[in-house]
Amino acid sequence: MFAQPGMGYDRAITIFSPDGRLFQVEYAIEAVRRGTTAIGVKTSEGVVLAVEKRVMNLQDPESVEKIFVIDQHVGAAIAGLTADARILINQARIEAQINRLTYDEIISIETLTKKICDLKQLYTQHAGVRPFGVSLLIAGVDADGPKLFMTDPSGAYWGYKAQAIGAGAQTVKEILEKEYNENLTLNDSIKLSLKALKQVIEAEFAFNKLEIAVAKTDDRLFKILELEEVKSYIESL
Amino acid sequence: MKHKKDVVDIVNDSRIGETVSVDKNTVGSLPVVKRVVLRPVGYPLRTVDEGKSPEITTDDAELFSAYATDQWNGTLVKKNSFLFDQYIYPDFAFKVVSCTPKEGHITYKTKIMLEKIVKPLSVSKVKVSAEDIIGQTKAKEKCLIIKKYLLEPAKFGEWAPKNVLFYGPPGTGKTMMALALANETQAAIFLSKATDLIGAHVGGGARRIHQLFENAVNCAPSIIFIDELDAIGLDRRFQSIRGDVSEVVNSLLSELDGLNPNLGVVTIGATNAPEILDPALRSRFEEEIEFTLPNREERVKLIELYAKRLPYRIEIDSDKIADMLEGFSGRDIKEKFLKALLHKAIISSRSIIDSQMVMEHLKSVISFKNERKVKQLYM
Repeated sequence: MFAQPGMGYDRAITIFSPDGRLFQVEYAIEAVRRGTTAIGVKTSEGVVLAVEKRVMNLQDPESVEKIFVIDQHVGAAIAGLTADARILINQARIEAQINRLTYDEIISIETLTKKICDLKQLYTQHAGVRPFGVSLLIAGVDADGPKLFMTDPSGAYWGYKAQAIGAGAQTVKEILEKEYNENLTLNDSIKLSLKALKQVIEAEFAFNKLEIAVAKTDDRLFKILELEEVKSYIESL
Repeated sequence: MKHKKDVVDIVNDSRIGETVSVDKNTVGSLPVVKRVVLRPVGYPLRTVDEGKSPEITTDDAELFSAYATDQWNGTLVKKNSFLFDQYIYPDFAFKVVSCTPKEGHITYKTKIMLEKIVKPLSVSKVKVSAEDIIGQTKAKEKCLIIKKYLLEPAKFGEWAPKNVLFYGPPGTGKTMMALALANETQAAIFLSKATDLIGAHVGGGARRIHQLFENAVNCAPSIIFIDELDAIGLDRRFQSIRGDVSEVVNSLLSELDGLNPNLGVVTIGATNAPEILDPALRSRFEEEIEFTLPNREERVKLIELYAKRLPYRIEIDSDKIADMLEGFSGRDIKEKFLKALLHKAIISSRSIIDSQMVMEHLKSVISFKNERKVKQLYM
């Protein structure tokens, strides 16, 4: 009968607290907040991901990745621990190819999300490991149309019309709640995301610190936009 | 002044057997006083060009009690009556602040103590105003309400802003805001670090808190500012770490929203970590105001504000420097950056701080802040 409500030792691994919380998972969610902001907006025309990259001094901005292509029709933006994110993206890519090999089909966005989330959940219920400190915004187009999912370190996922993760998420969500509507065009979605990003950006609002990716409903391709295109969108704001 | 002694022969008196004169003014049935608290008041009269009355204090409470009971043995006292010293300071008056029981005679068994007063921080010495604080607009808004309340406490009644919690990283202006508030309202401010309130003995902490609030009510309108609240307001589940804090938390809880109305007193708590505060304590604070680290614009303003006040001329590009000082609080900018820079300049006998010195110092200061190194882990 010792050290029970001791918040001292229970923090080492993911076990329940007396009031039913998983502190490690909650702390992992805090880790996500240390990442820069990523925004996703879905309309009938497609899905848009817009992110602020954190580029340190002397770093090559093009090597800094926050949006990843998973397969030709799907990609994800990450927020949180970079290294953890890389592992999850690797896994996502493998899953996408396994699906192709097994079913000769592109993986549906929800299935992909589920598989990533199963992995995340495993790491909250296994001895000797810690949860992934990453949230993902998975965006793409499949047979059911454009999709946007958010996953969090606990392994839960939800489909969204518009969502944000990372440091400025709260502020961005307020902006999205006010200004999002389902009939926005792709251009409008991009502009909305950029506008929201401008409010929460840490560094200066420059085109090489931002990245935009689009998955259009008509061509079903997930593409990260070139620097020039990003520049022109910023200028048109 | 010849003091009329009322001497009563009491059973408990240790000098039983000694003949005592009984004055016809004594009332034989009044009880013995166990405890008397005295407040030194001063002389009944003085000449105009004389100095102030001496401030009375004692180094040994027991000695004072022995001296006092010896002198005033047999005297009838009750609350608000006066006792006059005869020996050391003739005719110096002491007011009886409290008396247990309410009325009675002093004997050798009575304990006589001097009142301990917690002096509020003299407001005139503090020269901070709200303009000195950059940013923190939400906090400033809330403080407007507090200001209104302190100027007219009775008007608010039950809707008064009684307890507010300031939280945020260190150096973001929490104490400054409380001082500015006191300055602008001329209210008394009791600055207490939370650790002051922990007493040496069990029960000491609780007594100090009740004393603090009592003093604040006496000096109303007043502000009680408790800094580092998480040192004592810990969640009571953390008992294993500090067993004695739970009594402190409990007495705080009763004062913050308890039986006493505490009119005219605003309590401001400050902490870096609101999450580990006891939830009951946290719920007593009607509003939790976050003090954030300055963003880029605010850093520019802070640099300009403090650079202007530097005694040396400084060549500084506030925009560029503000970019590099990410993660620095207002205090960090003043102390770690500008003050240290100034000291370097003084030591190297330069009269102007040029941009090269600024950049060099910047490099050494930034490596000081781990935040930037750790940031690379996150995207």
